[in-house]
Amino acid sequence: MTEAGRLLSVAPSPAFWVAVVAYAAAAAALLGVLAGNAKLRPFALALVGVAFAAHGTDIGWRGTMHVHPAESVREAIGFLAFIITGGYLLASARYRLTLGGVVVMPVSLVLLVLARLTPAGTKPEDLSTLGRIHISLATLGVGVFALASALSAIYLVEDRALRRKKFDALAFKDRGAPLESLDKLSHRLVWVGFPIFTVALVLGAVWTSRLGENLARIEYVLAAVTWCAFAALLIARQIYGWRGKRAAKLTLEGFAAALAVLVIYLIRRIVE
Amino acid sequence: MSDLFVVGMSWRTAKVDVREKLAFREEEITPALRALTTELPVAEALLISTCNRVEVYGVAKPGSDPAGDVRQFLAHQRAVKLSDVAGALYDHRGSDAIRHVFRVASSLDSLVVGEAQILGQLKAAYGVAGTAGTSGPVLSRALERAFGVAKRVRTETTIARGAANVSSVAVELAAHVFGNLAGKSVLVVGAGKMSSLAARHLYANGAQRIVVTNRSPEKAEALAAEIDADARPWAELEKLLTEADIVISSTGAREPILTKALFKKITKARRWKPMMVIDIAVPRDAEPAIGEFDGVFLFDIDDLDKVKKANIAEREKAADHASKIVEHEAGQFEHWLRTQAVVPTIRALRDKFAQVAEVEVGKALEQLSRKELTRDQQRELVQRVVQLVVNKLLHQPTTVLRGSSPDEGPLRAAILAELFGLEPQEGGDEEVVEPPATEASSPQKAQA
Repeated sequence: MTEAGRLLSVAPSPAFWVAVVAYAAAAAALLGVLAGNAKLRPFALALVGVAFAAHGTDIGWRGTMHVHPAESVREAIGFLAFIITGGYLLASARYRLTLGGVVVMPVSLVLLVLARLTPAGTKPEDLSTLGRIHISLATLGVGVFALASALSAIYLVEDRALRRKKFDALAFKDRGAPLESLDKLSHRLVWVGFPIFTVALVLGAVWTSRLGENLARIEYVLAAVTWCAFAALLIARQIYGWRGKRAAKLTLEGFAAALAVLVIYLIRRIVE
Repeated sequence: MSDLFVVGMSWRTAKVDVREKLAFREEEITPALRALTTELPVAEALLISTCNRVEVYGVAKPGSDPAGDVRQFLAHQRAVKLSDVAGALYDHRGSDAIRHVFRVASSLDSLVVGEAQILGQLKAAYGVAGTAGTSGPVLSRALERAFGVAKRVRTETTIARGAANVSSVAVELAAHVFGNLAGKSVLVVGAGKMSSLAARHLYANGAQRIVVTNRSPEKAEALAAEIDADARPWAELEKLLTEADIVISSTGAREPILTKALFKKITKARRWKPMMVIDIAVPRDAEPAIGEFDGVFLFDIDDLDKVKKANIAEREKAADHASKIVEHEAGQFEHWLRTQAVVPTIRALRDKFAQVAEVEVGKALEQLSRKELTRDQQRELVQRVVQLVVNKLLHQPTTVLRGSSPDEGPLRAAILAELFGLEPQEGGDEEVVEPPATEASSPQKAQA
C-alpha cells in the first residue's frame, strides 16, 4: 500500500461508534414517536443532536490525521451524511418531521458506515486543488439535493395518505409538516443546491479533461442526467408552475442519478 | 380534616331531559353556593353546570356527611321532586371524589373524550366559587391540582389530538395541506348550514377571506351577511374557484357542479397550487375524478366522518394512559390531604418544644450574664439545661403513658416507639425513675 493509501485507511474514531449508536437509537426513538409515544420526541431529537455532534467530531478527528472530506469519494460520502443530518436537525426546529427522521437516520447511518468501514483504497496521486474543490462542491450540492429529496419523499408519502384517505396511516397521524411547506422548502433547497452542483460539474469536467480521462464514463453521464433533471425541475416550475407530486417525483429522480454516481465511484474505488 | 365529596349527575347517568331539570343558570350559581355553605354542613363548595353535567364539589364540615343533604338541596333548588332525579344522581367521597374531579378536568369523563371545553368550564366554576367566597384551602388545592393533571394529560398523551366534529375536521385536513391557514381564502359554494359552520371555523383558525356563491343571490347575500363574508354571483364560479384555496360545497344540486372538465381548466390556471375541496353535499357536488388532479385534495362527508371516528378512536386509546396519570396524581393528592390532618398537631408540637427550650435557654443565659463561670461550670450549666428541657418535654407523655389503662397502654407505647424510633427491651424489671421537672439550679448550688 502506498503512503497515501495508508493515510486514507485511518481507523474510525471512538466518536464514530458513538455516532453509529446514536443514529440507531435516534431512528428507534423516532419510530417510537411515530407509534404514538409523543414523550419520546425531545429524547429522539436529542439523540439526533448527539449523532450529529459525534459525526462532526469524527470528521474533525480524521482531519487531524490529514484525511479530509474532499480527499476521496468515500470521505465525501461520510460528509454527505453529516450534511443530511445537520439539515434534518435544522428543518426539525421548524417542522415536525418524525416520518422524515425515520428515513433520514438510517440513511445517514448507512452512509457513515459505508464511508468508514468499506476498504479505503488509495489516495489518488493526481488529486489537485481543483479536484478537492470539485469533490467538496459536489458533496455539498448532492447533500442539499438529498435534503430536498427527503422532503419530496415525505411529500409523496403524505400526499398518498391524504388522497387515499388513509386517515389511520402513520403519515397522517404524525401530523408532520404540511404539504405546501414541504413543497416550498424542497424547491428552495433545489434552488440552493443547483448552482453549487453546476459549478462542481464544470470544475469536474475541467479536472477530468486535464487528467486526460474519457468524459463518456457512466458516472459522468449520470452526473449530467442529475444536472438536467434539476434544471428541468427549476424551469418547469418557473415557466409552467410545476409543483406538488410531479415536482417531488422529478426531485427524487434527479437525486437517484446523483446517488448512482456516488455508488459507482465508491464501487470503483473499492475494486481498484 | 374534612372530606372532599362530589354530588351530581352527568351524561353518563342522565339523559338530557333529566339533566336539564337540574341545570343552573349562571346567575343562579352564586346564591346556590352561599346557601350550600350556610344551610348545610358544607365548609367549601363549587357548582358546575354544563350541558353534560351538574355537579357540586364540596368539603364536608368535620364529622358530617352532607351528600344526602346536597341531593335534597339540588332538587329543592330546582323545584323538582328528589325521586324524579334520584336515580341519576351519584355521590363520591374521599379518594373517589378526588379521582372524579381529576377525571372531569382531564376530560376523561366527557362525552367526547379529550374535548377541551370542560377544563374552561371548570375553571369558570372555580372562579365563581372564589368570588362567592365558598372555595377554601382544600377545594382550591384540589382544583389547582386538577388543572395541573389536565395539563399533564394533554401534554403527555394524545387524548386531545385530532378533531372530533365535522367543522374541526375540515380545519385539521386544511392544516395537513396548508399548515398555517393565514392568508388562505375560502369559497363557500351553496348556502347550506354545515358549510357556513365549517367556513366560520376555518376563518376563526386564520383563513383570510370567505366568499359565498349560490344560484340564488338572495341566499348567498343572507349567508354572507351572517358569517361576515363576500357574496359573489354564481356566474363567476370558475373565476372564484381559481382564486380559492379551500372550497366548501353544499348545494342541493342533483348533478355534480365541480366537474372534471371544470377542474382541468382551473388547476392549470392555478399552476397546480394546492387546493382543498370539501364536498359535504348529498348528492355530491364534486365528481370524484377531480381528486386525481395534482394539487387538488378532495374530501366528501364520509371522509370527514372517517377522520372524526379515527380521531375519537385514537383518543379513547390514549384514555388508558391518561387514566394511569390521573390515578397516580389522585394518590399523591390523597396523601397530601391526609398529611393536612396532622399539620396542626405538628405545628403545636413544634411550638411547645420551642417554647420550653426558649424558657430554659433564656434562664441559662441570664445566669451567664450575671457571673463569669469557669469552663467546668459552663459545661455543667449546659448539661443541666439540656436535662431540664428533656425532662419537661417528656413529663407529659410519660405521665399519660403511666396512667394509661391496660387497653390503651400497649397501643400508646407502640405509637411512641414508632414516633421516636425506639426499640424497647422486653423483661426489664428496673423501675424507670423520672427526674423531677425542676427549675435549673445555679452552678453555685450544685457546687455546694
